[in-house]
Amino acid sequence: MTKHLIIIILLGVLLAVFVVAMQDVQILYNTALKSYLVEGVIPRGFEETGSRNLVTAILLDYRLFDSLFEAGILLIAVSGIIWISKHDIEEKNAQFMYDKFKTPDLFVTFSRLVYPLMLTFGFYVIINGHLSPGGGFQGGAIVASAILILYYIDHDKETNIKLIVTVEKFLYIAILLFAGISIFTRGTFFTNFIPTHYSYDVQTIYLVILNIMIGFKVALGLWAIFTAFLKEGR
Amino acid sequence: MLFIPVYLIFIPVFTALIIYVFKSKYVNYLALVAQFAMTVLLIMYYNAYGDQPDATLFVFGDWDARVGISLYNDRLSLSFMFLTIFTWWMVLIYTFNFRETNEKNDNFLFFLMFLQGVFLGFLQSNDLFNLFVFLELTTILVTILIAFKKTGDAYRAGIYYELINVSGVLFFLIGIIILYNSFGTINVLAIQQLLEGLPDYVALRMAYIFLMIGASVKAALFPLYTWLPKAHGVAQSGISALLSGLVVKGGLYLFIRINDMFSPANYSYSDFFFVVGGITAGVGVMFALSQKDMKQILAYHTVSQVGIMMMGLSSLPTNDLFYGGLYHVFNHALFKSLLFLGAGVIIQAYRTKKVSDIRGVMKTMPVVSVLMIVGMLSITGAPLFNGFISKTIIKYGIYDQEWKYWILFFVNIGTATSFIKMSQIFFGPKPMTILLSETPQRVSMIIIAFSCVILGTFYIPISTGFFGVDLSYVSPFGLLPLYDYIATLTIGFAFYKLVIEKDVKPVRMIREFKVSFETANYLMVIYVVALVTYFIIL
Repeated sequence: MTKHLIIIILLGVLLAVFVVAMQDVQILYNTALKSYLVEGVIPRGFEETGSRNLVTAILLDYRLFDSLFEAGILLIAVSGIIWISKHDIEEKNAQFMYDKFKTPDLFVTFSRLVYPLMLTFGFYVIINGHLSPGGGFQGGAIVASAILILYYIDHDKETNIKLIVTVEKFLYIAILLFAGISIFTRGTFFTNFIPTHYSYDVQTIYLVILNIMIGFKVALGLWAIFTAFLKEGR
Repeated sequence: MLFIPVYLIFIPVFTALIIYVFKSKYVNYLALVAQFAMTVLLIMYYNAYGDQPDATLFVFGDWDARVGISLYNDRLSLSFMFLTIFTWWMVLIYTFNFRETNEKNDNFLFFLMFLQGVFLGFLQSNDLFNLFVFLELTTILVTILIAFKKTGDAYRAGIYYELINVSGVLFFLIGIIILYNSFGTINVLAIQQLLEGLPDYVALRMAYIFLMIGASVKAALFPLYTWLPKAHGVAQSGISALLSGLVVKGGLYLFIRINDMFSPANYSYSDFFFVVGGITAGVGVMFALSQKDMKQILAYHTVSQVGIMMMGLSSLPTNDLFYGGLYHVFNHALFKSLLFLGAGVIIQAYRTKKVSDIRGVMKTMPVVSVLMIVGMLSITGAPLFNGFISKTIIKYGIYDQEWKYWILFFVNIGTATSFIKMSQIFFGPKPMTILLSETPQRVSMIIIAFSCVILGTFYIPISTGFFGVDLSYVSPFGLLPLYDYIATLTIGFAFYKLVIEKDVKPVRMIREFKVSFETANYLMVIYVVALVTYFIIL
């Protein structure tokens, strides 16, 4: 009890100091320093990258190097989970909700209705990532959850994890290579490879292709992760 | 030439992916080719830019450095990169069985090579969020490598490592958010310039504290070190060597870089981190003395040596004491990986980890014993070996403050005692059945042992070349250092005979003292409050 009391007091002190400290951020932001974000990215982002969605502009152009390794985190997590959850004894493939009677029919029916909608919505979010909120990472997650619903509809669905993971790795290599093309056209790594004197419509080609590749990679990665978990749950 | 840092990050990443995709034993040799190419590239890069760090600033996509991601290399990061590639060479030669291809091998090589690329990126990055991404990736990769054996202990240690480190890294993220809200940029060099001439804001101190917590967790400083013995004790020996030798140093590197970034703000951090380092060193030695598991002993010694490095690095970078700590980082990387690799061979041969059960190593494995002795002499600070140099610089640096000197003195005696205990494995009768080690394992150990001796004797040109400091005032020759060392050993031996060998009750109590996960979290909160108290309230 005393242990808890001490920890609560300590956390209270921390919170108080934190709240006091945060008063300064406003002063710092307003007076001393102008943010480059406000000066540079917001007015010029569209001209420089051809993306109306500035989040995509930052993810796929200004800070593409980060995004590549964020996709890498998922890649590593997938291979790690698959390696760690694998058992030496050969097991049968996952059969989700094997006990058919426990999955309500209503749920299955609605899943059948929702599945194509979710899939379409996922693709929409991926392809329009440069115009509207969304992008490869978000759309990929939506597509993956649509595939997860598929396991409710079809109990006996067989999935070849090995194939998914290999395709995912190839896609990641392709993303890295595609992002690196700009070294030949613009002389620097990880930016839009289409030179800036082309029109914005041409420049969006790069954004759309990269969004699609990232979207598929994320979807495959998440698919592999939950298939591995399903196997583990058996 | 300017793009070499990018190649250094992506060569191992691509190699890892190709090895994973094409599972073939010929493709596995690509790892060695990649390693060789990276060595050549790094030497070329060092020759071109080694003494002009300003020319190495490189922004991806040619954007303004404040919004894009940039890489930056100075002497510090270049020397760390040499160490990284060297350690990976050794671990690859030691652990990897290239003749055999199976899923385990391919996966292992995949994670190992990917970690190298990520670690090299981490060393070069000049962007705080990019550092965060690399820290996160390192944490996940190391978790997988710890849990790679898939035993119960390994899983537990892996999850423990993951949870503690992720919470530390999240603190780091909060620090980044505060800085970004204040400055609108997360470029390290830009923030350093912006801090120039600013009044002392509490928010910036808060950001400094949060970044420091991330670095402290990664470096395993005193209350946050609990993950290290678990993780390094259960991993495979090659991985333990890699983690103890290099990956822990990532936290110290972060510590140096953050202090460098905040150098215009002039926070007086020296005394606080010296005390933290001292306590870390003391606690590490105390637990190491009580342990019986060979790898646990070595892991706790990593904790104590990190404490000694911290005692040096907590000083301002203009002092010689700082370079003592920095030199100790490199020395420790060599001798600790040597000791872990040697322990791996011995454990593999005797099929037990208990120090008291292993006897007669000198007769069964003479080469390995000699190499282990080189490692032990280095870690205890014998003249002519590399540990001596850095410990002597630290000793000179704190000569005028008596209490600091005594901390170092007791840690040295503890280290000597602990390795006298461990050296008992060399004596005794030869056991009946043992497995012999393989040639590649011995080759990598011999190379590391040689570098230990080389860093201990040719330290003057090496330190001028890498750090630009003159260490010629340290001399391993003469009688005084020898007397000093022999006196330390004698006291250590007496302590061993009188206390440790008899296994008195306090020693047993320390050995059975376990830190639960809950306590580790309490300790973390207490550490945060201590930092806040020191830097803000006082």
